This record gives sequence, C-alpha cells and structure tokens, in this order.
Amino acid sequence: MAQITEHTRDEVQKIVYEFFADECEVDISEISDQTNIIKDLDGDSLMFLELIEIFKKKYNLEIELKTIGKYAVKHPVETIGQLIDMQMLIIEHENHIMDLD
Amino acid sequence: MAGKVVVTGMGIVSSLGLDLETNWTNVVAGQSGIRYITLFDASKSQTRIAGEVPGGFAEHSKQYIKKRAASQMTRVTKMCVVASKDAVRHAGIDFEQMDKTRCSVIMGVVSTGNSSVEIDTTPQNTVFKSMSNSMSAWVSLEYQLTGPNYAVNTACASSAYALAAGFDMIRNHQADIVLVGGADSIINKEEIEGFNALYALSVQNDPPERASKPFSADRDGFVIGEGAGVIILESEESAIRRGAVIYAELAGYGLSSEGYNIMAPMKDGEGMAFTMNKALYSTGLSVHEVDYINAHGTSTELNDRYETLAIKRVFGDHARQIPVSSSKSMLGHTIGAAGTIEGIITTLSLYHGIITPTINLFNPDPDLDLDFVPHVFRKQEIHVALSNSFGFGGHNATIVFRKY
Repeated sequence: MAQITEHTRDEVQKIVYEFFADECEVDISEISDQTNIIKDLDGDSLMFLELIEIFKKKYNLEIELKTIGKYAVKHPVETIGQLIDMQMLIIEHENHIMDLD
Repeated sequence: MAGKVVVTGMGIVSSLGLDLETNWTNVVAGQSGIRYITLFDASKSQTRIAGEVPGGFAEHSKQYIKKRAASQMTRVTKMCVVASKDAVRHAGIDFEQMDKTRCSVIMGVVSTGNSSVEIDTTPQNTVFKSMSNSMSAWVSLEYQLTGPNYAVNTACASSAYALAAGFDMIRNHQADIVLVGGADSIINKEEIEGFNALYALSVQNDPPERASKPFSADRDGFVIGEGAGVIILESEESAIRRGAVIYAELAGYGLSSEGYNIMAPMKDGEGMAFTMNKALYSTGLSVHEVDYINAHGTSTELNDRYETLAIKRVFGDHARQIPVSSSKSMLGHTIGAAGTIEGIITTLSLYHGIITPTINLFNPDPDLDLDFVPHVFRKQEIHVALSNSFGFGGHNATIVFRKY
C-alpha cells in the first residue's frame, strides 16, 4: 500500500485539477471541489479510469479496475471533491477498498 | 394528410472546401478537388490520387470540437460533426428553443475511417473511433437531442438511404427536425489496394484533376474522395413556424435492392431504372416534370453505361432534354457521404437555378449520348431534380427534390 502523508491529498488534488483543466479546456481557477464533472465540465466517465491509471503508475498501486469499478458503482462520483476523496481511498486501500463497505 | 418535408440547412466538408459556400462556388466553377495522395505514402500504389479534404481541416475542426471529444473521434467523424454544426447554423436553429425529443440524427456511415492513416488511436479510444454509430451519437450529444439517432450502411448509397429514413421520420410525425448526413474516407493503403484489385479505381494518375471523367470514352474507374455532407430536414410546419429559409422540398424517394451481384449493377441498368421509376411513383410526378438529374456518375465503365441506359429507359425521348451531371467528376466518390453531398448540390441547383457541370468530358463516350452538361455550369431554372446513388451490394436510391 502507498504511504499516505499530509501532502498526498494536495498532490492528488493538483493532479486532478490539472487533468480536468487540460482535458476540458477550462482555466484551472474555474475548478473547485464542488465542480460537477459532467454538468460543469462536460466530462465523461472515461476520465475517471484515466486518472486511476495515472495514480496507479505514480504510487505504484496494486489495483484492478474491476474492483474499483464495483466500488464506484456503489459510491457514485459527481464532483471533483468526491473524485479526489475516492482517489485517496484507492491510494490508501488499493484492492481492499471493497472491504470498506 | 402528411405535410411536406423541406431542406432548411446544409453543411459540407470536402476536397473542394471546408464550408458550404466554398464548396458551392467551386463546383459551380468546375474545379477539381483531386490531387496526389498525401495521407500516406502512395508512391507504390497503382492509384496515387484522391480527393483529400484540405490539410487545414485539423486546425479548422478545433473551432468546433473540444479537445476531449476530439480525442475520441476519427478525422472523418470530426468532418461529420463540423458539417453538422455548420448545417445547424445555416438553418438558424437554436435547439434550446426546440422540443429536443422531436429532433433526430441519422447518418449514412460505411466506416468511421479508423484505418492505418488515422493518428493517435489508442486502446482507450479505438472503440469509440470505430463505432459506426459514433457520428450520429456525437452529433446528438452535441445538442443533447433525444429523438432517435442511428446509422445506416448501404455502401455508396448510405447517406441517400439516410435521407429517405429522415423523410419517413418526419412524414410519420416521429420528428420535426432530422439532421441527415454522411461522412466517409477510404483513402488508405489497404482499401486502395483492395479497390485496385477489383479494377474499380482509376489509375490515370497524371494529372490528378483529369482522372475522374464520368461518361467519357476513356474513363477507367472511380476516384476516391472524402468528406461529409449534412442536410437539415424539417417539417414544413416547423420551418414556417421558425421563419426558416426553405431551400427545397424533399418530395420523395425510391429505394431498391437488386438481388443480383455484390459489385456489378444489373445489366442495362434495369435496377437503376426500377429505382428511378419508384421514386417518381412515390411523388406522383411524371417523367416530363423532371428537369435535372444529379447522376451517381462514378466514372466506371459499368455504372456510367448502365445509368445512361436506365435514364433512357425511364424517360424515353425526354431523356435527351434532361441535363444530367456528375458531381463526382470534381469531388471524386465520397462513398457514404456521396448521397448527402450530392443531395446538397442538387438542392442548391434548384435554389439558385444553376446546374453544375460534369468536368473532364473531353472525349465523350459515343454510346452515352445524354446532355451531361460538360465543362461549365448552366444557368437554368429547374423545378424537379433527381439525385441517384447506387452502392456495392445492389443498394439503389433515387431522391427527389422539388423547388419550393
């Protein structure tokens, strides 16, 4: 499992904000934790998967997308803040995320 | 009683331009869009020419499509979206003021062009790039339209079939507005080799702009084009309510399947004639009322011979008085897009009273003795026009447009 530090959430938030700003062609200042990914940014569900791949490499995570997918179905993500929270859980618990339920 | 179905907007992306006005100016002027292929190294191919959409398209499309969506589209799908958005703008439609449940999209699609010339295809986007329904889906998504959206594939007649389907959808009160179109490109090494193996393509590479020569004695096959054409079909009632400009009426159509051969048309144009007759029957028009035919006119030996025979068979003595021209002489064969691109040219011919020419007819085939409007456009009022599309597999379509 990845080592979570006090800076990890800031790091994840920065990556997520920059990812959406770049992919959705919006100024990063327009993004907040309350931003709705689909309604406000015209985003899509694939972005979630792409971010998981990014974090998988960055933190050397052992995760299966199927597991994450099952968790995401039970815990739908709509806002940037919710997405960051879920990424934090994935980083912290990897495939054991399902045990949280 | 079923109301009329009218054309209120159009958009084209082709080798002759990235917008409707440029395309129309160029086809009236008899310009050729055929050049040496640049999309891949064709130096070892038998056919080294095609009607490629100008290189500036990639940059042009960025004004229309966001980066995220663009990364999931092929170049051809982008052409479809650009032509669709131009057509919507041309029609002056604000979908926020419309009942979106009554707005639909039907696209004629043979393939989306996710071929060896496509760049940036990854495992993550290859499915979206390849889905044949992706063009209609993206257009529907763009405006959040919730009427039916789907794709039609009948080879080179695909978007003509889409026009017929859109017509029916409005006549059957299933929709008020249907974005009907097609987009295609088979300019890639594999498909050119495949069509060369069938002796279907011209190999008269020099000079490129002279190769597509429908109805000529020295024609030797079609020249591949690419692009997109989108027509806004609308109920007359909706168009009048919006105060829209009406460019023509789509009066009816004839569709048929030849049940004969996967490639060759029925001998002497029997199936083509049946289709044109069926189209006239559907509209109640007589042969004497038709005053222009936008031919399928591919520049292949069989098509041009049989289409000419079919026109004579249907129109008898009147055939020689009908101007018949081939847009493919200028654009090449845009395959799935041809039906709507040529439908647009036919519509604008009715609207402006201008018949576009058949270029490269320097050496007419003596057996093909109709008025093919050689070389230069003709100013002539027309009231009823047919647009023919015939596809591999025996898919035939004739669309009837009438001056409004």
